[in-house]
Amino acid sequence: MAIVHQTAKVGQVAGKQLLTSQEKGTRGQWWRFVLVLFIVVVTLIPIAVVMFLAFTPTVTSSTSGFTLENFSNVFANSDVILWLQNSLLVTLGTVVVSVAVAAPAGYVLSRGRSRAVSGYSLLLFVFQSLPVVTSVIPLFILFAKLGLIDNLFGVTIVYVASAMSVATWMMAAYMDSIPISLEEAAWIDGASLFRGFAQVVLRNSLPGVLSTAIFTFLVAWNDYLVAIVFLRSAVAFTLPLGVQSFFQQNTTDWGGVMAIAVVMMIPPVLIFVLLNKYFSVGGIGGSLAGQ
Amino acid sequence: MTSTTTATSTRERRAPGTPGGRRFKPGTWTMFFLALPSIVLLLLIHGWPLIQAFRQSLHDGTLINPGQFVGLQNYIDNLNSPTFWKAAGFTVVFTVVGVFGSWIIGLGLALLLRTRIPAGGIFKVLLLLPWVVPIVVSSTAINWLVATSSSPIPMLFENLGLAPPLFLADPTWARILVCVFKVWVSFPFMMLMSSAALASVDETVYEAARMDGASSPQQLRWITLPIIARSTYISWILMTIFCVNDFPTIFLLTGGGPIDATNSLVVLAYRTVFQNQQVGLGVAVAFMMTVVLVVIATLLYRQIRKAAI
Repeated sequence: MAIVHQTAKVGQVAGKQLLTSQEKGTRGQWWRFVLVLFIVVVTLIPIAVVMFLAFTPTVTSSTSGFTLENFSNVFANSDVILWLQNSLLVTLGTVVVSVAVAAPAGYVLSRGRSRAVSGYSLLLFVFQSLPVVTSVIPLFILFAKLGLIDNLFGVTIVYVASAMSVATWMMAAYMDSIPISLEEAAWIDGASLFRGFAQVVLRNSLPGVLSTAIFTFLVAWNDYLVAIVFLRSAVAFTLPLGVQSFFQQNTTDWGGVMAIAVVMMIPPVLIFVLLNKYFSVGGIGGSLAGQ
Repeated sequence: MTSTTTATSTRERRAPGTPGGRRFKPGTWTMFFLALPSIVLLLLIHGWPLIQAFRQSLHDGTLINPGQFVGLQNYIDNLNSPTFWKAAGFTVVFTVVGVFGSWIIGLGLALLLRTRIPAGGIFKVLLLLPWVVPIVVSSTAINWLVATSSSPIPMLFENLGLAPPLFLADPTWARILVCVFKVWVSFPFMMLMSSAALASVDETVYEAARMDGASSPQQLRWITLPIIARSTYISWILMTIFCVNDFPTIFLLTGGGPIDATNSLVVLAYRTVFQNQQVGLGVAVAFMMTVVLVVIATLLYRQIRKAAI
């Protein structure tokens, strides 16, 4: 009895220090708030720098304070609209093709149980760990022969392939959460395996599709290495190359560089802020190793 | 972890004609055709180039000229080159700092954000931004912050009475800068992975631990970490792959300099091929790196699949 009493007392003391308990004091809550706030502020400094410089007049300018003149300068004197167009085309292509390829592949990974599927899963993993540099060099020589250098289509294929493994795991992870009994009901009604996939599983996989789409969007939109290898002339540049070449040519025009940077930053940030509740990478682990 | 548990229950039963039975059933073909587009893409964009790359690494060609067969000469040249070993060394440092730095910060933030704090949801989104913002954009901002001795951060050092470091000209500072930048870019991914794993931890185990008088650090060490261990290993493996293969973080910030201090193997391979036009030599670098990485990753991957938690 005495022991039980003592344990309870120790438990109470420990309970006060607990970070995870629901009923902790408000003082601890505010202390953690300040800590997180501090981390957030420090973390966001580089992003704040981009915003600040983009809206600050350059040294040679006659205006002062908040200005949009960097944007009007950049839009008038650089190919930023063209780069934006190229980036949007490549990214949209990558997202659509990736989802179309990864959704059925994810279904196989989620539902298939055989040596072949295990082998396929290992293949996905091995190819995910290959450095892009290794495949990019032979592809560069091949694409040169096929006339796919400076071609947005060529870059899109490479993006789809490099996002494929993670995209497939993401789709599989979501499909794992859809009960197989739904398909079984369809099979009993005479549906084929394919119809079970297309009409039952895929229809219920919108969050998985969105998650995959967001991920592939980031891969294509933010890539630099593939773009710098395959896109050699300024007309074919995507935004990352645009920012970089503008930066090299106008090293002192920080306002202009940052204005393009803001243009490039807005789409991914907007997508994440609006859709982040659909984005989950946690499931990857399950489909990667859970079988 | 949630998905794993739900998945196991669905896995007991089998789809009609799913491979696994003794005989080939019609569904096998459906499964094959569903996976076919991705297999074709993978083999075309990853598989075929891998074989090509191996062939190139045995020749002394340029981007235009296939060159002469030289056997293993490119590999021998690399293994005898101090630049190669320097790059290998920095790749290890960069990867270890990148993986564990981002993991510690990501897990710490995931633990903090799991508790109820004001504006927690907004913080969570804001903290993802370093991972979401293109490296080209953030590296430009870092460049502005540190590039010259009159940039804001060196000025801050000076105002504190310290010698303003030349981040891009001093080898040690350049290395620190690149590693810190990598952690900054990667911690949100680790935070997402940790948050997902933590969400599946059953709160009642903490109540039991509290009854037994376990302190918070003890609970973290003996309950939380073991429960999320599997997800942690997976995030380490993925981040190792991301770090070893990372090109833009280093290339855009320092270009591999000063005096090759921040040259990683990927950057070395890229520079050898596209700047020095020595395709065979550069591909050999990439290839050796690939083999080591694939072997390590495959071993770890098997380990996780075996580890039943």
